[in-house]
Amino acid sequence: MKSDSGFIRGRIDWAMVGAMAGLIAIGSVAILSAASPLPYYSSILQKHFLALGIGVLLFVFGLGFNYQIFQDQAKTIYGLVVIMMIAVLLIGDTQRGTKGWIRFPFFSFQPSELARVGTMLALANFLDRRGKTSHRVGYVLGAFGVVFPILALILMEPDFSGTLPFFPMLLGMLFCGGASIGHLIAMGGYATLTLALPLLWTMLSLRPEWIADSILLNGFMKIRQFDAEFMIALAVVVAGVWGLYKLLQMLRFNVQVPAFLAAAGILAAGLASGVLVDHQLKGYQRNRFVAFLVPGADPRGAAYNVQQAQVAIGSGGLWGKGVFSGTQSRLGFLPERHTDFIYAVIGEEMGFIGTMSVLALYMFLLWRIVNAARVARDRYGYLVCCGMAATMAFYMLINVGMCLGLVPVAGVPLPFISYGGSNLAITLFAMGIVGNVYSRRYAFY
Amino acid sequence: MAHWDRGLQDRLNLLWIACYAGAVLLGVRLLHVQVIRNVYYARVAESNRTQIIHQSAPRGKILDRRGAVIATSQPAFSLIYLPGETRDATRLVGLAKSLSEELHQDDEEILERLKEAHEEEAAIHLAENIPLDAMFKLSELKTIYPGVELIVEARRLYPDGAFAGHLLGYMGRMDKRSWKSLKSRGYRVDSWIGQAGLEQKFERRLRGIDGEIRMEVDAQGHLKRKIGETPWKPGANLHLTIDWNIQKALEAGLRDSPSRMGGAVVLDPRDGAILAIVSAPDYDPNLFLLPDWKKPKDLLKNLPEFNRAIQGTYPPGSTFKMLVGAAVFNSGKAAPSETVFCPGYFTLGRRTFKCWKKKGHGRMDWMRGITQSCDVYFYTMGLRAKGSLIEQYSRQFGFGRKTGIGLSGESSGNIFGPQARALRKRSWYEGDTVNLSIGQGELLVTPIQMAVYVAALANRGTLWRPYVVSKVSYPNGSEERPEGPHSMGRVDLSSGTWDLIQAGMRSVVTSGTGHRVDIPGIEVYGKTGTSQNPHGEDHAWFVAYAGRNGESPTVAVSVLVQNGGHGSTAAGPVARRVIEAAFAVREDL
Repeated sequence: MKSDSGFIRGRIDWAMVGAMAGLIAIGSVAILSAASPLPYYSSILQKHFLALGIGVLLFVFGLGFNYQIFQDQAKTIYGLVVIMMIAVLLIGDTQRGTKGWIRFPFFSFQPSELARVGTMLALANFLDRRGKTSHRVGYVLGAFGVVFPILALILMEPDFSGTLPFFPMLLGMLFCGGASIGHLIAMGGYATLTLALPLLWTMLSLRPEWIADSILLNGFMKIRQFDAEFMIALAVVVAGVWGLYKLLQMLRFNVQVPAFLAAAGILAAGLASGVLVDHQLKGYQRNRFVAFLVPGADPRGAAYNVQQAQVAIGSGGLWGKGVFSGTQSRLGFLPERHTDFIYAVIGEEMGFIGTMSVLALYMFLLWRIVNAARVARDRYGYLVCCGMAATMAFYMLINVGMCLGLVPVAGVPLPFISYGGSNLAITLFAMGIVGNVYSRRYAFY
Repeated sequence: MAHWDRGLQDRLNLLWIACYAGAVLLGVRLLHVQVIRNVYYARVAESNRTQIIHQSAPRGKILDRRGAVIATSQPAFSLIYLPGETRDATRLVGLAKSLSEELHQDDEEILERLKEAHEEEAAIHLAENIPLDAMFKLSELKTIYPGVELIVEARRLYPDGAFAGHLLGYMGRMDKRSWKSLKSRGYRVDSWIGQAGLEQKFERRLRGIDGEIRMEVDAQGHLKRKIGETPWKPGANLHLTIDWNIQKALEAGLRDSPSRMGGAVVLDPRDGAILAIVSAPDYDPNLFLLPDWKKPKDLLKNLPEFNRAIQGTYPPGSTFKMLVGAAVFNSGKAAPSETVFCPGYFTLGRRTFKCWKKKGHGRMDWMRGITQSCDVYFYTMGLRAKGSLIEQYSRQFGFGRKTGIGLSGESSGNIFGPQARALRKRSWYEGDTVNLSIGQGELLVTPIQMAVYVAALANRGTLWRPYVVSKVSYPNGSEERPEGPHSMGRVDLSSGTWDLIQAGMRSVVTSGTGHRVDIPGIEVYGKTGTSQNPHGEDHAWFVAYAGRNGESPTVAVSVLVQNGGHGSTAAGPVARRVIEAAFAVREDL
């Protein structure tokens, strides 16, 4: 690039790098401490620092050459992601019932992490190309069409929580890309139905006395199966919407036919996928729902983890108990202490100062990503940064919220902090691309 | 210059604001959990990792008057269980099965207690006072099952077994109801508590303050390390007035008596201090402290808990005759030189009362009457004194009311006389006076009342309340005297009357029915008694006091051998043994 063209390059956002370094440093200390009582401690440390090394290389790789090559090669990237996800289903390694790993001589790699970034790059290309028609429904449906095959492949592993980060990424990119708010609401409504119905069914099944008293609730519970009741419910939804349409027409309201068709479609589709999700939920996942809905129900069961995490965080106080001195984590009261619940270890050992530092570094990092999006030279770079910002925000809010008992337990890591090589390396790679967008930014003179 | 619509950035800003709001929410929650509620969560975390193991403190020693140890404490191993966080039911079932083999208890019962421990999240005692052979097997279990631990605790020990068993009482468990009221005083549900005797009466002083070891445990219940410790504080020592030698002799004497059953008390007639107190048959209080599976099954059912020395009531028989003499001579209703002819029986109206000697004693005055224990002589003297006067004297000598020794269950006996009859709205007849004159009828006394009576005869009138604790010494050096010499009253008789009675008792020993207790070098004064028992063999009595030649008496003895037969043959040798021990006449006790 010529320097007089209004673009500059070669600038690295050192503030962003600093924030990442800070998070990784705190995370590494927390892993050193949290994993130390474990029998495979040295193996964990080896893998962590190996992943960190690979991650730094990937970061430099992501930063190194013009990111626009990712847009040019979007179809290739998408194709590789699909092939990789099919490959993992064929030759993958099974851990904890999920066929989601590819084994290498010294470590295992989780392809769904790379698939997330690959999908983000391909999706950004799709949305950029359709930028002029972002107000159309095809913009939203098309974007969903891009993501859906990947989600389906991940669900086949089956890895329910692995699909979760795709949704904020998709929604964030659509929103920032300029999709119609109405379309987003429709999609949000569908997603809400999909998740809320299983939640509602789970909650109601905890209260058999309510169901017994009510024919309506009893019928609602029966919809859970793909049988006659489900079909009846589907027919009732369609007929109800049609009836309402007729009624409003008779009352001479100015009604829009597409809106009604959309509403009926969303209700029906939401119902169908809600039942689907309900069937796919595993026992432990349903228990997490229960634990979140009724925390006191079984303090030794699924709610136990969340409670112990809060005890760990709360007992840390202002200054913490000191690294390597957290009793909750070291004595085994805190579950998943070096992975999903590592924030609780930080809370216990480094106190309010530690947790607020992590929170502040994360917000600073997010601000740098948002800033990169703002100054991006093109919409593709802007969309990539938006996708990354939404993903990171989702990870942080859900993981920390889970440790604090504000959201249900969903196996979501805290990037840069949690132990997990694939996530660390791939997140560093994605941040490299964000840095790339920043370094090739539009310069204001 | 831009190729793309920068108006989209409004949406990005909106997204950023949403994230920011979410982060603020998290920050507020962190502030709440970590700073505001820190104290609460810190306490939860602390109780998560800490298990408190209580260690029973050594109970205070019980010592005899010369410092010989009667009850002490020794270290013993206890098996405890610390519940971890695991909820694995099959593991608990396995542990219960293994434990039931070693502890010989029902595995269902053990499982129930293990579950209780998990529910209460507190350590429990599974077994105490574990013998060495079981220890090794149990310590193997410790390596298989986390949470099973062996700890050292102080355990009650009675080194001489049954020695003074009835006086000491025993240790036992509390029932759930009494535990609730004692909880605030530091008792735990598995604490031991004094259940009878001195262990019960001085529970508060003997009991120390239990120690606490605070251990760090992990989520599985493995003990990691000691965090802290509050050492136990031992209880106060009880110094008794009991004389080990005399107590031993008295126990041996009763054990060798014909029926091996009875009660006996030895007092110091100068102040009422109990030198020995025995009830036979006795029991070994150590048995209660055995681990449950080694305890005899019918221990409590067949326990000879009844303390005959203070709870058993018997007619005093001829030992009552000194009181009749005191009444008739001190009131001047008869003179000691007056004689009565004994043909072997006595007629009152149409009723005939026999003397114990069928052939009769012939002509009897006071000295001969008491020496031979002639019933006819005392029938006559009793009628002369009249029933009401004898009743008055027996009240003065403390019969019919508790001596106040302060051990639970003491009996007051039963006073017999016109006044007592009148209270029950029944009439008194002369025949009753005849019976009363020889200590029969409805008159019932306890061995300890008899000891107080004979001590009063020895010291010429003072009724000392018997006491057994000379002092309580606390670990910090301070001392307390909860009991001590206390006069319950005086019997005022002329010194002439005292001389008569004492001379009579001396004569009983030197030339009468009590000749078996005549010990060279010791002035023994005594009286036999054989109280008729319509339900079986007669009860044998011997009461005595003694001092070294030319010195005032220092020992007062009352021995009852239940269904022992004749006083001189059954109870006399016991008294002799005691007096010999008291004056160290015989070495071989």
